[in-house]
Amino acid sequence: MAENTNVADNTQRIRNFSIIAHIDHGKSTIADRLIEYTGTLSKREMSAQVLDNMDLERERGITIKAQTVRLEYKGKDGNMYCLNLIDTPGHVDFTYEVSRSLAACEGALLIVDAAQGVEAQTLANVYMALENDLEIIPVINKIDLPSADPERVKNEIEETIGLDASDAILASAKTGQGIEEILDAIVERIPAPTGSKDKPLQALIFDSYFDSYKGAIAHVRVLDGCIKKGTPLKMMATGKMFEAVEIGCFRPALMELQEMGPGSVGYIAGSLKQVRDVRVGDTVTTQENGALEPLPGYRGVTPMVYCGLYPVDSADYDNLKDALEKLQLNDAALVFEPETSIALGFGYRCGFLGLLHMDVIQERLEREYNLKLITTAPSVIYHVHKTDGEMIPVDNPAEMPDPTVIQYIEEPFVKASVIVPNDFVGAVMEISQNKRGEFKSMDYLDVNRVMIVYHIPLSEIIYDYFDKLKSSTRGYASLDYELADYQQAKLVKMDILLNGEMVDALSTIVHVDNAASRGRMLASKLKEIIPQQMFEIPIQAAIGNKIVARENVRAFRKDVLAKCYGGDITRKRKLLEKQKEGKKRMKAVGRIEVPQEAFMAVLKVDE
Amino acid sequence: MRYGLYIHIPFCRQKCFYCDFPSVAMAGGREKLMKPYVETICGEIEKWHKKIEEEKLGAPSTVYIGGGTPTALSEELLEKVLCRIGKISIEIPEFTIEANPGTVDLEKLRLLRKYGVNRLSIGVQTFDDEALKRIGRIHSGKEAVEAVELAIRAGFENISIDLIYGLPKQTMADFQKNVEKAMGLPVKHISIYGLQVEEGTVFGKLAEQGRLELPSEEVSEAMYDYLNEMLPQNGFQRYEISNYAKNGYESKHNLSYWQDIPYIGLGAGAHAYWQGQRYYNPVDIREYVSRAEKGDKLWEVEELLTEKEHMEEFCFLALRTVAGINRKRFAEVFGKSLDNVYGKVIEALIKKGLLEDNTDGVCLTKLGMKYGNQVFQEFLL
Repeated sequence: MAENTNVADNTQRIRNFSIIAHIDHGKSTIADRLIEYTGTLSKREMSAQVLDNMDLERERGITIKAQTVRLEYKGKDGNMYCLNLIDTPGHVDFTYEVSRSLAACEGALLIVDAAQGVEAQTLANVYMALENDLEIIPVINKIDLPSADPERVKNEIEETIGLDASDAILASAKTGQGIEEILDAIVERIPAPTGSKDKPLQALIFDSYFDSYKGAIAHVRVLDGCIKKGTPLKMMATGKMFEAVEIGCFRPALMELQEMGPGSVGYIAGSLKQVRDVRVGDTVTTQENGALEPLPGYRGVTPMVYCGLYPVDSADYDNLKDALEKLQLNDAALVFEPETSIALGFGYRCGFLGLLHMDVIQERLEREYNLKLITTAPSVIYHVHKTDGEMIPVDNPAEMPDPTVIQYIEEPFVKASVIVPNDFVGAVMEISQNKRGEFKSMDYLDVNRVMIVYHIPLSEIIYDYFDKLKSSTRGYASLDYELADYQQAKLVKMDILLNGEMVDALSTIVHVDNAASRGRMLASKLKEIIPQQMFEIPIQAAIGNKIVARENVRAFRKDVLAKCYGGDITRKRKLLEKQKEGKKRMKAVGRIEVPQEAFMAVLKVDE
Repeated sequence: MRYGLYIHIPFCRQKCFYCDFPSVAMAGGREKLMKPYVETICGEIEKWHKKIEEEKLGAPSTVYIGGGTPTALSEELLEKVLCRIGKISIEIPEFTIEANPGTVDLEKLRLLRKYGVNRLSIGVQTFDDEALKRIGRIHSGKEAVEAVELAIRAGFENISIDLIYGLPKQTMADFQKNVEKAMGLPVKHISIYGLQVEEGTVFGKLAEQGRLELPSEEVSEAMYDYLNEMLPQNGFQRYEISNYAKNGYESKHNLSYWQDIPYIGLGAGAHAYWQGQRYYNPVDIREYVSRAEKGDKLWEVEELLTEKEHMEEFCFLALRTVAGINRKRFAEVFGKSLDNVYGKVIEALIKKGLLEDNTDGVCLTKLGMKYGNQVFQEFLL
């Protein structure tokens, strides 16, 4: 252990890097090979893809929580180096987290699939890395594939990013080719951290997680100064005071250290009760003689997408609260507050970074906490300007004020960048146009691939923009977006009435031009989803007092098994159980049983 | 101790197109199985007889020989079974046998009477000859009426008939004629079922191919409404979802299924409910016989009911009867009050108009009868 400590004590022998890659381009497998090659873990200790250790992550092949690992590697010069790999989440929802991880590094591996080439998300992350002055080492992965075309990919890197790709490393995580070269390049090309042990402590928090024994744990990169075990510390943005109860590094399991100097990457456990105390982007300093200024770039969490989460069984309300609180312990981006719906009863309005984040949280609540939930259709935050001059943010369509007091409504727009083969340019433009997008620019990345930029409402993105893009480009389109601004739009609230009663949880905000057609589609979708019941159910879509669409769910006439004698009983009970199981997914709205998916129906209508 | 005895005779002349009961058509050499099968059954009755004596259980209060078609057996084989039952008791309070028109004559019916069979359940299904052909029955409407007359002549007083509504191509007018005809017969009990298309039946296959022309939901509902109006008007009181009887002629054996009363089941595919456990026998006749010959056990445990499952079944079965769930009995069986366990459920269902409180307990309303499954589900814990 003493030896380990020594390696990192010499700032000159530290290299901090992260990996930038598009989903499926092999980030996790490359990371696995690096861990293996440096002997950090033996093959036996590695479950495949060590870094994606949440079940959900493995199933979806994406990284939700970033992981960090310290590798030790003997460089060509014969010296031992300490290489800190700072993994980054690979999804557009987590852009801010990525930016903080990158800010903790001096360099990055840019991994590009030798067959697929550069994708929209990769680009966004590379630009971010360049903004942070990172040394970028291009790695062309999967060169063992028959369809690999490294020369084309090199060209693409040079033309789109403007990086010199002549010394790009050709690698295959599968065969192990290029792994040693990557390690040598990290040592030789990525600069050692600068920083002084004598300056006041400044450590950047780039991630956090909750450990049930140690409390909230901060992943930090020390810029200046030194953290010693037991030092009284302070979070500069939140003002939270705590003590460095335990510090250490990731191997990838926690390994305790006594001291962390400039350039080090590691963790601080300080008996902090919740991850909200440990904000990504915040600066840790000492209580005494601390830094005067925090590191730049801190940003509070700003959810982009909101939805209502309601327990199917209202008795689960407290359990839902407990579960959300537990998830929040480990997810500072999740926000929630109590909300009441006339139709659904008591639940929570939850804010998420994006749709994937929402999906992941919902799935974890159901899987890990065994809750049956109703999720309402996601909504963006509208800025509603009232006639009295007041602006109120509205994240729940049901809470839209009466049109008579609204002067105008603004909605969030994003800058959406789509990369596609040029055959699909027409399709992308058509979809984007239909989604109220405004064309901004189009650039050829190489002879075949085009990047198209649109200014488009976020509400359309969360509606079905990406699904539409994928399906009309045979899956080739890749999308990245970032919040651009708020703009005025002609928006109206559309209500759904079941059996003549308005169901608040089914209200949506739509653009006035699409209102009637969306209303018809939603009504007919609901007709498909809502099962026959003992009475007829009229479905109406209304804007104000005006009915724009109507449908009818016919009543079923009877529901009883004619025969039930001795031999039928067990089978009969099974049948009833099945019927009841189907009902568990339903919520009684008035006297109508409405299936869970009805509340998401607005996202599922086919145009 | 009150308990029932069910004996299954799985042979038929021909399998009906809607039937998913354990039964086989007597062709392809299967008639040769009848004799060994009857011998096996007799052996089984004997075993039970011994157990009854050892455990001092007393004779069963009801015996029901069902099928298949019990009357498809020859007089000789039928007599063997009846004779063996007679050794237990010659006076079973309710002793039913199922019969098919076309398989009975006066002689056979008199034989049944001689051995104490006092209730005859005749499978009529419909009186319409065309409809009978369409559902794979072997008899005519006229033969069905004759069977009832013969039964009266043989000395049967307690006669039941089965009818089915919602048959392929059946119209409301067809069905009305059927009900009128039934009302004119000297029977005391009518079971009337809506046709259920089950997987693995001829109808199941036709339905899959889209070749089964069933009456619409609306027509089928009108039939249901009609029969529930007409039967009571003619003195047949509904006592269970699908069963109607003149006063005092309710089937005690069938009631035992809904009233949590134990029953023994003998024969291939028969089920039993004994000491809180559900059993079933192998459906395959050859397997059943060969197990008996080898001295292997003939039954399999279907389920040992947990208290929860027992409660669920107790309730949804009782709710099939017009009397409903009896609070006192529930408390006796489970040592808990019905309202403690199901108070909320009951309250909600009463609000919906599906359930009502009769002074002894709760029962389905008229609407509840129609949507029974909606109610039963709620009693699953």
